[in-house]
Amino acid sequence: MSRAASDVVPIDATLVSALRSGDETAMADLYDRYSGVVYSVALRVVGDTGVAEDILQDVFMQLWRNPQAFDANRGSLAGWLAVISRNRAIDFLRKRRPETEIEDVVVNVEPDMVRGAEWSLLLGKIRAVLAGMPGSQRSALEMSFFEGLTHGEIAQKTGEPLGTIKTRIRAGLLALRKACNQ
Amino acid sequence: MNAHEQIADDLALYALGTLEGAERTAVEKHLRECSACRSELERLRGDAAVLAFSASGARPPARSRERLLAAVAREARRPPAPAARKWPWWGALQWAAAAAVLAVFFLFVRQNDDLKQRVNQLATSSASQQQQLLQAKQLITALSAADADHFVLVASKTPPQPQGRAIYLAKSGTLVFLASNMPALPPEKIYELWLIPTSGAPIPAGLFRPNAEGSGSVVKPPLPVGVEAKTFAITVEPKEGSSAPTSQPIMLGTRG
Repeated sequence: MSRAASDVVPIDATLVSALRSGDETAMADLYDRYSGVVYSVALRVVGDTGVAEDILQDVFMQLWRNPQAFDANRGSLAGWLAVISRNRAIDFLRKRRPETEIEDVVVNVEPDMVRGAEWSLLLGKIRAVLAGMPGSQRSALEMSFFEGLTHGEIAQKTGEPLGTIKTRIRAGLLALRKACNQ
Repeated sequence: MNAHEQIADDLALYALGTLEGAERTAVEKHLRECSACRSELERLRGDAAVLAFSASGARPPARSRERLLAAVAREARRPPAPAARKWPWWGALQWAAAAAVLAVFFLFVRQNDDLKQRVNQLATSSASQQQQLLQAKQLITALSAADADHFVLVASKTPPQPQGRAIYLAKSGTLVFLASNMPALPPEKIYELWLIPTSGAPIPAGLFRPNAEGSGSVVKPPLPVGVEAKTFAITVEPKEGSSAPTSQPIMLGTRG
């Protein structure tokens, strides 16, 4: 399905509002917009296409069952879904029950489109920041986020001090924030 | 070094969900008291989402879309109708659960356990809590229905009074608040709801602006878990809201 950029939105808030009324076509629209992000994040974490697909289904079914959990006034749906997908994937990796209720996840991030030129630009910025980071910082950040490792576990793996790992992770997140705000 | 600086690195780990033990407890304690750090937590989660975006590029298999939409159709939410009488609420829930088993079996096993646990918790909670939960569910449904009619009934010859109802479960930090007959506000002002804990400073519990009929609501604002509420209060604040009340409450709750 191809649509002009200006025609892609009904905005997320409208689509989620339609979900609340039981509108199944809104669900199809949301899937078309965000399934790639949700699936990619899950796949990056679990490394298995079948499991990633199951997580994708789970994340969207949770949105369908409980659209009130997403508050459009407090962040973008793309970011919210990406974080929910990552959390569910880490839960799977660690073989544990979901630790965080989806309602408790508030993600304050601007981009609400995961297609088109603006999205490509943003993605380029994000990847450039990651590529420009010292290897040890990028590695700590990715082990924490995509592998769900605690700073203790990362310190054990790398042999570096706990405080250094903590500082690197926070500095890495702030570097990403700065790049997105430019 | 102030408390924010001391906690900054740990807050980042907390945002990623990888902080454990005493450090996690300390961050949660600080978050209960510090709205600035609660806001920073949301921004850090946004930064984490940006990091998640870096994984973009893979496409799910084409069958996944049909699989999802089939599961959605099996759990279709249709407007309340006579069918609702034929299918009791819990029966529909069981049917929804059965459909989910087919769709996401291994994940559902965990969810089902979770659901059972919650049902057990509900069964052991007081009758009044169950009544309140049911009421909240019905109110949310009515509020979110586009075709709902709103009526306010008061004693004859009594002008409608501003009224708010807060339903709060401390153990999960869940709050549903509904207000009616609220006076309109100038554009630069907003109503702010406050959780007044049994000890400590008021905690922001959401902003709302009444609609043309004077109705407003706050559903599931971000609140720390496990805070016992003495009461709830409403103040008029600048439109962006405040981290601490800047005016006297115009409405104050009593337990009912």
